[in-house]
Amino acid sequence: MTIPGFILRNALRNKRRLSLTVLSVALSLFLFTTMQTALHELTQPPTSEDAALRLVVRNKVSLGNVLPSKYRPRLERMPGVSHVMKLTWFGGIYKDKANFFPQFAVDADQLSPVFSEAEIDPKQINDFINEKNACDVGIKTMQRFGWKIGDRITLQGTIWPCNPELIIRGVYRKGIDMTNLFFHHEYFDELMGNQGLVGMYWICAENAGVIPDLVKRIDSTFANSESETKTETERAFQLGFISMFGNIKVLIGSISTVIVFTMILVTASTMSMAIRERSREIAILKAIGFDGWQIFGLILAESFGLAAAGGLIGCFGADILYRHLDIYSLSHGVLLKLDVTPSILAAGLTVAVLLGIISCLVPSYMSIQTSVVDGLKELD
Amino acid sequence: MPEPIVQIRELIKFYRHGEIEVTALDNISLDIHANEFVALMGPSGSGKSTLLHIIAGLDRPTTGECLVRGVNVGNLSETKLADWRNNHIGFIFQTFNLIPVLTAFENVELPLLLTKLSTRERREHVLAALALVGLSDRSRHLPRQLSGGQEQRVAIARALVTDPTLVVADEPTGNLDAHSAQEVLTMLQMLNRQAGKTIILVTHDPKAAAFAQRTIHLEKGQLINGNSGLQS
Repeated sequence: MTIPGFILRNALRNKRRLSLTVLSVALSLFLFTTMQTALHELTQPPTSEDAALRLVVRNKVSLGNVLPSKYRPRLERMPGVSHVMKLTWFGGIYKDKANFFPQFAVDADQLSPVFSEAEIDPKQINDFINEKNACDVGIKTMQRFGWKIGDRITLQGTIWPCNPELIIRGVYRKGIDMTNLFFHHEYFDELMGNQGLVGMYWICAENAGVIPDLVKRIDSTFANSESETKTETERAFQLGFISMFGNIKVLIGSISTVIVFTMILVTASTMSMAIRERSREIAILKAIGFDGWQIFGLILAESFGLAAAGGLIGCFGADILYRHLDIYSLSHGVLLKLDVTPSILAAGLTVAVLLGIISCLVPSYMSIQTSVVDGLKELD
Repeated sequence: MPEPIVQIRELIKFYRHGEIEVTALDNISLDIHANEFVALMGPSGSGKSTLLHIIAGLDRPTTGECLVRGVNVGNLSETKLADWRNNHIGFIFQTFNLIPVLTAFENVELPLLLTKLSTRERREHVLAALALVGLSDRSRHLPRQLSGGQEQRVAIARALVTDPTLVVADEPTGNLDAHSAQEVLTMLQMLNRQAGKTIILVTHDPKAAAFAQRTIHLEKGQLINGNSGLQS
């Protein structure tokens, strides 16, 4: 027998309680990992080199206010700008409100240059560009509704008083959010009576170095106009968009804290019970020569092992599960995926380790403080 | 006569329960020599277990001193005291106190985990101790698979395995039937006579005390028959 073997025997003596405690820690760590991963997905959308060059120009007042289409030529002429694309959120309904997916009217010929990381068959790009009521759809939405190239779909406008009738001509994969549907802004303008309204402009800068000046130049150009602009990087725009849901970081952080605190109480309670049951044995161990620190080490190792087992199951369980689940469907489009990053795994396991240490501090201190004689008195 | 292995001088121990002070041992002076088998007898509350605990380094005297092989046990720090107990004291308790999840072999091996012995050396010591108490064939049994008498013999093997200076037994037959009690006491006597072990037995049973070479009577914390072994 070895000391680790002795610790293992102690840990396994009440298998039902051990299983329930490990499962409760695992479930809590699973929730913690899920929360942190969701927060990560919401606040740190995937970025690419192309995305780093993209700027979003929107109405300074709010996202709900539009910009005039006459801004486009002025934007195109600005030094450092390589591409300009109109993009307007359509927000229509496909058959039923539950079938939500993002829909945008865009300049068809600018879609590929601006979102260059999206993979699409060149023939399909041409088909999309050359047909006014064509649309280009992300693979996830295609799969969700079982669509195929050539299918006709109708979107019922909710924000805009029109119902675009579209033909699917392209399917893009990878790169950007694979749930979007893009159709011609020209078609949208036509349906809206050519009012010249644009939700926002997406701009590609020639290189990262020009971006700071470009942002200032765009906003100063349209300052004191009928529609002042706010220009920001794609990443800043996305974070700002998410912040409209409220302070998600504080909310998720609070829930995570409650989860961790509850875990500490559950594990501390288990360790207290386990140690109290063994107070006579701890007294015997002291009598035969184990000192206070050695007893503390035995208890700490057991508590640590229990918490670590729960942590490994919870954190890696979440990682494995989310690799195999269709998060997009399950979250009704709110989340594209739940990618448990190494840093989140490390955070979860750190929480588990701290949990193992903190939860045994009080019970082990109590057991160390109890004299051998007092411990032995409990025997007889 | 050789130097006493245990020297107790003017030892006083009192406990405080709230505002009440209880004197457990009142000015005890006592010598115990090597290879002696001493019985501490007395009624409940006479202080015999307290005296045993002080000799074994489980408790500290209020005043006075307790020297075991010249070491003043009461002056050792908690950590040194734990190490000292591991090296010098073998405990036998009334309720056996084996670890229920460990086999007889592992229970006996437990005190050796704190030593620097190799696995092979530990195994040799454990098998020798189990053979000494006649339980070589029960080494893989868990405590619940043993009779009370067998459990106490495993506890004796655990007390002996480190080859301690003193074996202290606190009412070791209190939870045993007459036959098993006889077996255990005979074994302690055999260990004293054949292996030369110094044994201190706490009991309130005169039949058990009869196995010892010397009986020390305590009452209300004081020695009452003057059989202290002190050399004049």
